[in-house]
Amino acid sequence: MIPAPRYVRAAQELPEQAVYRYDQVDQTLVSERVAQFRDQTQRFLAGALSEDEYRPLRLRNGLYVQRFAPMLRVAIPYGLLSSTQLRMLAHIARRYDRDFAHFTTRQNIQYNWPRIQDVPDILAELASVEMHAIQTSGNSIRNITADHLAGVAPDEIADSRPYCEIIRQWSTLHPEFSYLPRKFKIAITAAPADRAASEVHDIGVHLRRGALGEIGFEILAGGGLGRTPIIGHRIREWLPQADLLAYLEAILRVYNRYGRRDNIHKARVKILMRALGVAEFTRQVEQEFVASADFAPRLSVAQVEHMRGFFTPPPYESLSDQPEPAGEGASSARADAAFCAWYRYNTRAHKVSGYRIVIVSLKKHGEAPGDASAAQMDGLAQLAEQHSFGMLRVTHDQNLVLADVAQRALREVWQRLEELGLATANIGTLTDMICCPGLDFCSLANAGSIDIAKQIQSRFDDLDYLYEIGPLEIKMSGCMNACGHHHIGHIGILGVDKHGKEWYQITIGGSSAPPAALGEVIGPSVPKQAVADTIAKLIEVYLRERRDEGERFLDTVRRLGIEPFQERVYAADHSTA
Amino acid sequence: MRQIIRRREIVNDELRYEGETLEPGTHSVPTASQWLATPEAQRGPALLLRETDEVELLASKLDGLRWIVVEFAKPGEGRGFSQARLLRERYGYEGELRARGAFGRDLLFFLARCGFDAFEPKPGEDLDAALGAFDSFSVAYQGGSEEIVHVHERAPGL
Repeated sequence: MIPAPRYVRAAQELPEQAVYRYDQVDQTLVSERVAQFRDQTQRFLAGALSEDEYRPLRLRNGLYVQRFAPMLRVAIPYGLLSSTQLRMLAHIARRYDRDFAHFTTRQNIQYNWPRIQDVPDILAELASVEMHAIQTSGNSIRNITADHLAGVAPDEIADSRPYCEIIRQWSTLHPEFSYLPRKFKIAITAAPADRAASEVHDIGVHLRRGALGEIGFEILAGGGLGRTPIIGHRIREWLPQADLLAYLEAILRVYNRYGRRDNIHKARVKILMRALGVAEFTRQVEQEFVASADFAPRLSVAQVEHMRGFFTPPPYESLSDQPEPAGEGASSARADAAFCAWYRYNTRAHKVSGYRIVIVSLKKHGEAPGDASAAQMDGLAQLAEQHSFGMLRVTHDQNLVLADVAQRALREVWQRLEELGLATANIGTLTDMICCPGLDFCSLANAGSIDIAKQIQSRFDDLDYLYEIGPLEIKMSGCMNACGHHHIGHIGILGVDKHGKEWYQITIGGSSAPPAALGEVIGPSVPKQAVADTIAKLIEVYLRERRDEGERFLDTVRRLGIEPFQERVYAADHSTA
Repeated sequence: MRQIIRRREIVNDELRYEGETLEPGTHSVPTASQWLATPEAQRGPALLLRETDEVELLASKLDGLRWIVVEFAKPGEGRGFSQARLLRERYGYEGELRARGAFGRDLLFFLARCGFDAFEPKPGEDLDAALGAFDSFSVAYQGGSEEIVHVHERAPGL
């Protein structure tokens, strides 16, 4: 007799922080995974496992061997972090790395300089704060991408975090789906704004409410970036809550059986779906879903409700909204203008009155996007404890979030972030760019990313000019694997190798927000030193052509097409003609 | 004499594959397509399932089978996990389900959880040392095969 699956644990004391807390089963599993990996690593170091044998084992625990050193990717499940966990990440940066770490577009964190022999110890330290590196790489189900504003966003229909944790548990060491044809990414969102880029994931799960207020899901499949970027297709309009895992299993089983394994570049589910056609793929999934009804996992209402208990709202005070800052306050006018700009660009409306969401910018000009030092992490942990119920979130565009800051504390939080170098008021602007580690660290990269980011930051260092340009997303990848999501940048930058030189292909018009769109290549790639100049030309056309300040760069591209931009970038330079 | 792991014991293998000599007490293992092409009355008790073979074709023919060997031809091959789950859970196959091929001890836990109860890892794998791999984890999040009894420890009431 097959035992029932276990996705939630028995009732126990709930934590004060709105985060899933491990029980004995979770802790045992993670600790045993550490022991297993220690054994595998020791066998490798002792020569009992070849590099070829060790590679798939280390990869499914997030350990890459990179250009200069191993890289360890640690999971931050659906981007949610407690202050205790962030302190541990700082400790690891300090003790095993070079005092910093890099937050990724998958809401995870990467260490670029650990020693292989230290990795089991690092994992053991992580396990002590309920963290791990399970399935952060390899051909398995990866970290669930989630809305970094889940639970606090005014526009969500329900909190998606309980479902994220349910899927995290279901997918962790799933015996059937641990050796898939290729990696597999699932995103969940419960808001129309789709802050999880769900349309470019292997599966996108959209929370919906039915006629009676019950929760169900719309299911997308077959999206992805990489070499063959594709927007996902809806394959199920309404899936009852109870069937969520059963349906995911049906998709995964069809993929596991029929996805291509002969060519790594054609192995994602999007390629299978394209080969079969959306209708046929959907038919096969539906058929599998029906045929496995007897043994597929079912979610009970009690299980979901129990999981929901971990993500109850923190003890908010009863506060009323304060007026937006606009020049008031005792400090100098200049500081006040800086605070107002930060308020405008780096904070967002909260669904509870008297509170505000603060986005912590990891995009300070002159720094690698997404990097944070150990001291910054420690400082943020303290700030989270004092002003955000001890919790933080990681965004897929490589910033951090203090989700629950009382409006009356905003000025203090801003000052502390200023001191930490984390208050650059550029969220949503041109320099809030996504950037992969690129050639400086990654062995897959064709070209540098961080240099380009710095070139752009330096060219567009004037915040007032950034504000004039308005909302603009630049996304940059150092190779076609697209970790930097360049296809869905309003401006995308892709590093390519041309005869040993770094060149950059520019796309415009991409977007991860609904309706998601893939950018169009504007023309031949440009040399490294010309990237910021090229972007300046694109901006010049936009500022010339936009109808009013409300029309974003993306809107102008959509309205005019790419031609005027192409013309400006590739035509003979008029200024010297 | 080739040895395999069966239900956590190392035993001599009684199966013979193409090109191997049949001895008394051993059974030949045709491929699934060969087996299906054989008239029903003459079919033997064992067959070999390749990665691309459809388990659905065996659905109504499992009664006489005592051994189904699932081949894992290359490292990283994962289709056999789904084949095993379907044979056990959808089609109710109760005979021996054996994984054979290019895997080491690190896959045993997953294989067993999908319903495999016999294992022939890649040549050179130390079977004695491999036995410990069944105990890699004492807990699991998913439902799974009863072959690993100890993973059934779960929080009360679930």
